[in-house]
Amino acid sequence: MILFSAKDISKTYANHKALDKVSIEVEQGTVFGLLGPNGAGKTTLIRIINQITAPDEGEIFFMGEKLKAEHVHSIGYLPEERGLYKKMKVGEQAIYLAELKGIKKADAKKRLEFWFAKFDILSWWDRKVEELSKGMQQKVQFITTILHEPKLLIFDEPFSGFDPINANLLKQEILDLKSKGATIIFSTHNMESVEEICDSIALINKSKKILDGKMIDIKQRFKKNQFEVVIPNQKNIKHLLTEGVELISSFDTPHTQVSTLKIEQGKNAELLSNILLNTDLISYKEILPSMNEIFIETVSNE
Amino acid sequence: MNKIGIIIRREYLTRVKKKSFLVMTFLGPILIASLWIIPFFLAMNSETQSKVLVVDETLVENNGVKSSLYLEKFKNDKELTFEYGYDITEAQNKLENGKYDAVLEIVKTNDMPPIKGFLFYSENEPSLSAQEAIRSQLTNILKDHVLVYDYGMTEKDLEWFNNPKIGFYSKDIRSGKDSYKEIKTILGTMSGFLIYMFIFLFGGQVMKSVSEEKTNRIVEVLVSSIKPIQLLMGKIVSIALVGLTQFILWVVLSGILIAGLQSFYPQTFTEPQKENITINERVISVDKIDNISSSAGEVNQMVQGLFSIDYALVISMFLFYFMAGYFLYASLFGAVGALMDVDTDAQQFTLPITIPLIIAMLCFPIILNDPSGTVAFWLSIIPLTAPMVMMIRIPFGVPVWEIALSMSLMIIFIAFCMWLAAKIYRTGILMYGKNITYKEIWKWFKYKN
Repeated sequence: MILFSAKDISKTYANHKALDKVSIEVEQGTVFGLLGPNGAGKTTLIRIINQITAPDEGEIFFMGEKLKAEHVHSIGYLPEERGLYKKMKVGEQAIYLAELKGIKKADAKKRLEFWFAKFDILSWWDRKVEELSKGMQQKVQFITTILHEPKLLIFDEPFSGFDPINANLLKQEILDLKSKGATIIFSTHNMESVEEICDSIALINKSKKILDGKMIDIKQRFKKNQFEVVIPNQKNIKHLLTEGVELISSFDTPHTQVSTLKIEQGKNAELLSNILLNTDLISYKEILPSMNEIFIETVSNE
Repeated sequence: MNKIGIIIRREYLTRVKKKSFLVMTFLGPILIASLWIIPFFLAMNSETQSKVLVVDETLVENNGVKSSLYLEKFKNDKELTFEYGYDITEAQNKLENGKYDAVLEIVKTNDMPPIKGFLFYSENEPSLSAQEAIRSQLTNILKDHVLVYDYGMTEKDLEWFNNPKIGFYSKDIRSGKDSYKEIKTILGTMSGFLIYMFIFLFGGQVMKSVSEEKTNRIVEVLVSSIKPIQLLMGKIVSIALVGLTQFILWVVLSGILIAGLQSFYPQTFTEPQKENITINERVISVDKIDNISSSAGEVNQMVQGLFSIDYALVISMFLFYFMAGYFLYASLFGAVGALMDVDTDAQQFTLPITIPLIIAMLCFPIILNDPSGTVAFWLSIIPLTAPMVMMIRIPFGVPVWEIALSMSLMIIFIAFCMWLAAKIYRTGILMYGKNITYKEIWKWFKYKN
């Protein structure tokens, strides 16, 4: 089921076009990566989804309806530029932000206590935000983003500013939210995290969408028929190559030889049987392009 | 709760709980009460008396009857009482013993009439006004002497001559009331200045709060929950409520303070009996001791002035112009706050707003000098200066059509400024790390909301 879709969104600012007929579809219960270099128009699209700005053209649908003001209660947004009131107490502030998302005060308090306990930060409740470290503030802000149990969560560069331990904690939380049925739009240029958590992506460059689809499909589309073959290093792969197979590179380890081969479609079986006839096959796997490679390739081909 | 309500509540409570709010709340009434009370204490303090011993060397004794030009001629008043002696050394001893505050020696000379006087004192030099009063009494006595002996004036003529009983009072032609220009000047200046201060103080708070939210970056989270215009309006309204709370607390607390003081000194704070006492005061004051009593008369007039003002009109106008001026400037300050960022130069945006405020302030004397003149008229019609300037004019009386015109222009202009501010605000708050120019702001008006 499609939870969110944007059709032909365009937005022009005074001297530049921020978005040019961008369309995306986000399936319910998936993590959708919104990728693109700086200034591509990601933040503009996110602000349009959050109804912070309006598009010049195009339509947006959320839960089967045209996007309307009440939908902000079903959306949680963690902006890239994060911030809280410095002089306000943590608990008070979290309740305030929850109230603005339409949660009753008592309810907000109950939910906050659950999350604060989960993150082991209950002792911060009465402390002022300015007394907390940046990482601590990020945790608080993350909780305020998800507290109203939104159907759609939008994270803009969520991992920036987190140390590796907390980043991992955050990643687990995101996957946890997904498993509970939340849909997540996740904007980043950190491709490693995209590999780990995204189901599908859209790549925006210079205000246009240049690539989108499920991660698996995209990887298939960009694959170069390359395989990694590992054999014991008594034998050299050079002597085992069959027709339609090209050796890209290879190196020896103390006991094995690791090679990268480019194999034409349908020539795998021949190669494999030749290897197996002559030596042992330790491992054999297809090398799929990383998102990083796809990103760089696509953007620089533009 | 409605979302604007949530915004207002938070903004209001955080401000009211601040220490600075508490301090201002208690300092204000003390200032106000002292402004009200000072005239009364001035009236009271002028009653501290100095005793002066007059030693007259020109005194001659004829058949046991002492006579001199000056004997028994000095007039006692609130500040000075006179007694007479003959021996200067004895007098100086008495002065040192503290029986008298000053000794006035009139020296025997060959001049006729004798006109040299010395004033001695021990502890404190007599005040300038007391010295001036003594000098003027000496002059008057001499003048009377000349008039009687050289020009043959009778005592009765002399009395008329010294007290021509020419009264001068200014009256408001419409209400028939006395004009009390001094107290109106004070009241007008005070309320004009108060509005100026409130605009700067609370308008500045709107600006600060908006720019804080922007530099904090919390604003992006907020506007993902509510519309930017709601956020701005909530802020402006809540700060207005803070201002009103403070104002009401000031009025109530100063009322309590003044009432408390009145019950301590019941006599001091009653309205002087105008027709009789003032006129009588005048009769005394315009005579030979002119300088001293007239100041007491002025104080009395000020006190009367306090009772003569149409407070209902002044207060209702004050509330209108206070709120209108605030909403006008607060929305502009809010827009400016949205343009500020850590590294932007805010000066270029605050200046156009503060200039009209400062112009209004600088024109206070011109307006007070001629409250219905051309400058006063135009400045009280132009919405940017009207809140302050009109408040100065109100106590002096302003034609109804002028007030109506000024008020309606105010309302129209506020609507315009809020529209303007909303446009600037919603774009400005999300512009990070960018130097914003006027040219760019102009383009924002074309953006779709």
